[in-house]
Amino acid sequence: MSALRGVLARAGQYGLVLALALMANFAIPRLAPGDPLVGIVGESGALLPAAEQRAIIRRVGLDRPIVVQFGRYLGRLAHGDLGYSYNKGRPVSDVIRERLPFTLLLLLPAALASAALGVALGVRAAWHRDSKTDIGLLGLVLGVEALPAFFLGTMLLVLLAVRFPLFPVSSNIPPGVGLMTVHGVGEVSRRLALPFATLTLAGLAPYFLTTRSSMLGTLGEDYILMARAKGCPTRRVVRHHALRNALLPVSTLFSLNLGFVLGGAVVVETVFSYPGMGRLTYDAVLARDFPMLQGTFLVFTLAVVGANALADMTYPLLDPRLRAGRRGIGHVVEEPAP
Amino acid sequence: MTTAFVPVPESPGPAPVRRRGLRLVGRLVWDSRAGRVGAGILLVFTVVAVFAPLLAPYDPKVPVAPSFTRPDAQHLLGTNDIGQDILSELIFGARISLGVAVVVSTIGTAMACLVGVGAGYSRGRWASVLMRLVDVVLVLPFLPLLLLIAALFGPRLEVQILVIGLLLWARPARVLRAATLAMSSAGHVEAAVWMGGSTSYIIRRHVVPRIAPVIVAEFVRIANITILLEASLAFLGLGDPVAKSWGTMLHYAYARAAFLTGSWPWWVVPPGLCIGAVVMGFALLGFALEQGTDPRLQRKGWLGTS
Repeated sequence: MSALRGVLARAGQYGLVLALALMANFAIPRLAPGDPLVGIVGESGALLPAAEQRAIIRRVGLDRPIVVQFGRYLGRLAHGDLGYSYNKGRPVSDVIRERLPFTLLLLLPAALASAALGVALGVRAAWHRDSKTDIGLLGLVLGVEALPAFFLGTMLLVLLAVRFPLFPVSSNIPPGVGLMTVHGVGEVSRRLALPFATLTLAGLAPYFLTTRSSMLGTLGEDYILMARAKGCPTRRVVRHHALRNALLPVSTLFSLNLGFVLGGAVVVETVFSYPGMGRLTYDAVLARDFPMLQGTFLVFTLAVVGANALADMTYPLLDPRLRAGRRGIGHVVEEPAP
Repeated sequence: MTTAFVPVPESPGPAPVRRRGLRLVGRLVWDSRAGRVGAGILLVFTVVAVFAPLLAPYDPKVPVAPSFTRPDAQHLLGTNDIGQDILSELIFGARISLGVAVVVSTIGTAMACLVGVGAGYSRGRWASVLMRLVDVVLVLPFLPLLLLIAALFGPRLEVQILVIGLLLWARPARVLRAATLAMSSAGHVEAAVWMGGSTSYIIRRHVVPRIAPVIVAEFVRIANITILLEASLAFLGLGDPVAKSWGTMLHYAYARAAFLTGSWPWWVVPPGLCIGAVVMGFALLGFALEQGTDPRLQRKGWLGTS
């Protein structure tokens, strides 16, 4: 019963996020100073003849009452219509559909690699607490995190693409190259390597720090002492007894962090001219292509909300205490307060 | 035979002094090596920012040498594309970068305190509504939203400060609520309630001083994120061109052929490393405070209390 209510409350919350994002997307351009035509057509909007300006205003519906405008906005969204990019001369949704796979191809592996590497290093640091390993790792990880992602990317680029030309300078993937051929896979992965490495390093620190402090907490528990006392091998103590519990806070981090990872994608894709959503966002900023900017923001929000919903659903798989109902054991553990 | 009565000392060391408020924060920072290093880094940059006019060899806005001058005795970091002294730009840039961080953190922490401490202490219906709002703000993708707003409202420093400040309070609010919840069931707070202390008195006198390290840790965390966000915004061309921060310097360096002319080692690397050093300073400070306040992590050692 309480589980169902929890699920409903969560769903309501995600609905709220989406509603807020939609309203922000609708309201922000209307609150901004300046000529709305500039917002739709770009800087050249103010130069159009008056009749044409009126025609565009009428076509977009800006002469209607605000409520009607919002209704029409929602209606268009429901049909997958994100507006029209005058800069690209194409519907926003078409361009986004083209770019989204590239971003997923870069972001998902990088996010997973950050998590895996961060957890592995965090476990090491916690096990050797206060040793040279711990301090060295801590300094290294905090140092890497402190550099802006675009700076880190550029330094990798200068070192590994210019000084020692191991990787291509531009990660732009030409339309002909696909993942269908062996050669294509090689080409794409060569171009992906540097942005992937940059994003992985840039996203490492939260996983490392959370794993480290969570492991430190868990390693102090009595059952760890018990496991060691009964002669359990160190590997087993770390993996089976400590890590499994210590990983719980890390798993929530993955979805919570996604918003930041997306921000990193914008700058990293820009540095490496990688043809994904981030680069698209940057180009839209340069061209003041507001319909495109709104479209990418909306897609980013959808991605974050989706990831969080997914995390909520998978959380009980990781934490057996949340599966109490299914197991039929008497104690029902409330979901931990967020 | 009589044995002299030797009093056994009750505790091996001096009794721990109960500290509160900023003194507690200072103690936690000072007792941890990470905290001392972080505070040291930040102190150096703060001094540079405050005394920028005295330290900078030239006016950063005026061309003082031919474009792309290589580093020499007159210009330790050379000059940029229009002949401005890069070292002077770097020194004055500290004012903007640190200034933005401090102002944003102040706004963000104030909001987080209001929401987090309020919701943690009152636990009423409003509190849960507020926390739902926190959850909503928490999942919004910051940088894309910032880009949208900055592009629409123009690349102005005030806009950036306001927007970043209005976005970054959510996570701290959650942390502060948890800290307040833990605190408000403590004995001395309940005693104060029983003795009829007013809510604002109890919060000011008994709750806030005890969670001060958490508040400062969140302040530091906001500052940390702000510096990186501001740099990213500036790098993407949305920095305020009038107030040149380190991020804006990097933007111009990238846009104006720092790499083609080979001047990146003294034009791109120093601002990048300055950003890195300041963020690292904030991160170490935050790390020290977190270690000091998390009861599960108490142990004597190199980075913790020693």
